[in-house]
Amino acid sequence: MAFLEFHQITKRFPGVLALDGVSVSIERGACHALVGENGAGKSTLGKILAGVYQPDGGAIRLEEKVIHPVSPHAARALGVAMVHQELAFCPNLSVEENLCLGDQPRNAAGWVNRRELRARARAMLAEIGSNIDPATLIGTLSTGQEQLVQIAAAVGTGANVIIMDEPTSSLSLGETRELFRLVRALKARGITLIYVSHRLEEIFALCDAVTILRDGHHVVTEPIGATSPQRIVRQMIGRELLVREPAHLQRSYGAVRLQVENLSSPGKFTGIHFSVRAGEIVGLAGLVGAGRSEVAQAIFGLDPAAAGTVMMHGRALRLGSIRAALAAKSGLVPEDRKRQGLVLSMNCRENSSLAALPLLTRFGWVNRRAEHELAERYAKRLRVKTPSLETSIASLSGGNQQKIALAKWIARECDVLIVDEPTRGIDVGAKAEIYQLLDELAGEGKAVLMISSELPELIGLCGRVLVMREGRLAGELPRAEFSEAALMGLMAGVAQSAA
Amino acid sequence: MSSRLRSLFGFQESGLLLVVLVLGLLLAGFGGSVQQPVLVRGADGEVTPQLNAAGEKVLVTRNRFLNARNLAQLAKDTSFIGIMAVGMAVVIISGGIDLSVGAIYALAAVVSALVLRHLGETGASAGMSVLLAVVVCVGMGLLCGLVNGGLIVGLRMHPFIITLGTMAIFRGIALVASGGQSIGDFPPALQKIVKFEVGDGLTLVPPFVMVLVMIAGWIFLSRLAAGRRVFAVGGNEVAAQYSGIQVQKVKLGVYLWSGGLAGLAALLAMGYYGSASSGDANGYELNVVAAAVVGGSSLTGGRGSALGAMLGALIIQMITTGIIILGIDQNYSQIITGSVVVAAVALDKFNTWLAQRRLARRAD
Repeated sequence: MAFLEFHQITKRFPGVLALDGVSVSIERGACHALVGENGAGKSTLGKILAGVYQPDGGAIRLEEKVIHPVSPHAARALGVAMVHQELAFCPNLSVEENLCLGDQPRNAAGWVNRRELRARARAMLAEIGSNIDPATLIGTLSTGQEQLVQIAAAVGTGANVIIMDEPTSSLSLGETRELFRLVRALKARGITLIYVSHRLEEIFALCDAVTILRDGHHVVTEPIGATSPQRIVRQMIGRELLVREPAHLQRSYGAVRLQVENLSSPGKFTGIHFSVRAGEIVGLAGLVGAGRSEVAQAIFGLDPAAAGTVMMHGRALRLGSIRAALAAKSGLVPEDRKRQGLVLSMNCRENSSLAALPLLTRFGWVNRRAEHELAERYAKRLRVKTPSLETSIASLSGGNQQKIALAKWIARECDVLIVDEPTRGIDVGAKAEIYQLLDELAGEGKAVLMISSELPELIGLCGRVLVMREGRLAGELPRAEFSEAALMGLMAGVAQSAA
Repeated sequence: MSSRLRSLFGFQESGLLLVVLVLGLLLAGFGGSVQQPVLVRGADGEVTPQLNAAGEKVLVTRNRFLNARNLAQLAKDTSFIGIMAVGMAVVIISGGIDLSVGAIYALAAVVSALVLRHLGETGASAGMSVLLAVVVCVGMGLLCGLVNGGLIVGLRMHPFIITLGTMAIFRGIALVASGGQSIGDFPPALQKIVKFEVGDGLTLVPPFVMVLVMIAGWIFLSRLAAGRRVFAVGGNEVAAQYSGIQVQKVKLGVYLWSGGLAGLAALLAMGYYGSASSGDANGYELNVVAAAVVGGSSLTGGRGSALGAMLGALIIQMITTGIIILGIDQNYSQIITGSVVVAAVALDKFNTWLAQRRLARRAD
């Protein structure tokens, strides 16, 4: 009998059936991967076990007893804890206060016993081998450190099942390595881990078994030794992923559309210079914190402190003015789609047309028919899966949201498109579609600057890649010299660029 | 439910209309009846009670709630709050709040009353005085809105703090300017227009203006690009900025709009009551916010409508009227109004939840 069993779990959300009769068995002490495209239901399944969501049908059995985690608190009492992707703590409180939030040590008068609080927090952190100062405010920690604190909280409260929801999605390389070490240590202690991710390398490095979900259905559960990355990708998307040479590389490039000379911003980056031609996709690589997004923001007029020259179509741009950047027909698909890219209280149509609104407006009036046609055209072109254009964007999956965030700028008919982490947190199928789209856009003569932390996608799609390190341009690699090792070397500063 | 009925009640404000209808039916049913004199319009245009042969007033029995005079009164009472609520809805949709509307109302009324009184002494024409009243009163409102917006944008401070401050400042200026006196003896031209009577003595100019304002607000919010920008800023300021929207300009605009409408409400009230003092519209800001929120505006921004705000004002006024009609002790009035505000918003949340569940069902 399995240690943990999901039996016919069903969960509905507005507009989608997130899980449809999913049954999975998990062995004690295993690291079990849950993979699938975004919207496949993998996070939902984890959250049901952790008491965040209530299932609409089905049952969970832990050690052959049916359990009903009605809240995260109830799940904790059953020994189930979840390490969340996003803020799970109060950022305005310290590590120790957060760690003991549910059960603060009190003295006889009912006051918080601060010494006991600190000792307890320190013990919990020591348990996972972390030396984070318990007095630090959570808000000042990096995402990686915060995850460690979450894990410390889980282990410290005696959890024997820990769910990790895409734990490495915003971690640096060093932090990821640290996390891997910890995951192995937890496994060695007999803790059962459920690892939600769509990074296949990680799954093969860490997990014993893998369950694949697709569109809310269970596809297969296999031991990791019996499968391969290609096989998993096929099972996730239900079709072969075409890996082919991007078409834009075959065409000759046009005039220089974007030229950046000696661009600097105090404390962020200095002396950046490069150019992008019409029809070209140029990659911009670098570790987290290298200043890539900051450069993109400066080009787009979002950095009032930026100095230097940004030329579009051969004309110098007034820096620090979004309107100047827009007038020069440029667009920026930002890194964080929920915070910067989309207005979640609006529907798909309104989000698609938000940047293009001036094109749809005459004498202040929005041409509603033209707006609807525009939204429909791009929803169709980008294959956005939504019940209707009037559906709230918040109820769409990450991949579909990202498509709308892209559609917004394509609809604006910009010639220079900067995309910052265009495939972060979205599934393999949607990724392939977005690569295809960027290739098409380059084919139409747009100049594309693509910022990404995923080297395979830069290598696959770009004609050349610029590498930034600590606010400076560390080098540039032409397609002929692409390799993960060469790029990584430049990013981390271990080798000098040949270029 | 038939599909036609559903499409009729499918729109956003249908729940509010239903509340208005139910309240109306309740008041009509439980209000009882009242004896009213029959009014006739004489050859001179004056409306007087009709007299019988014995020289006594002719009386008819009418429903206490459902009679023309009471409904006109209700519409008139709603309109001052209703006009400001449309302005407030726009501010709230943008993610802000304007606590100074009552004070703007008082300041605009006092200043224009002073100007009009001065004008009366110089013997300007009637048309001139009305035009000047409109320009001064609405202009004063816009000016106050500009001050609010300018401070909020310039100092990058929360609108709650700024308008809490200007609320006291504006009312203080009105107090100083009026010397604490009620200012009433200005030319009657404005009064004649605002109190223009229809039928047997019904004053419908203020509600008419309110409906115009609501329609203007509806067009602004749902048809104009400027309105869309207000929703975008209220929904996600950063994303709006990234989309090329000039967030600060939008913010400045909503406070101008709110201030201007407070000035317009003051103009109508001044014309209707024939006087202005610095104590006018005391505490109105809370009723106006309540009307907008009952009307479906979300205090977190990004959601709301002009029709909703007007209906919200109507619901609040119906409760106040209802307390009088049903003969409930006036002392309970605040308790009841407060409870209704909370209940209405809770009902709206429930309605949203129902709609979401329906959507989820349809997906299966």
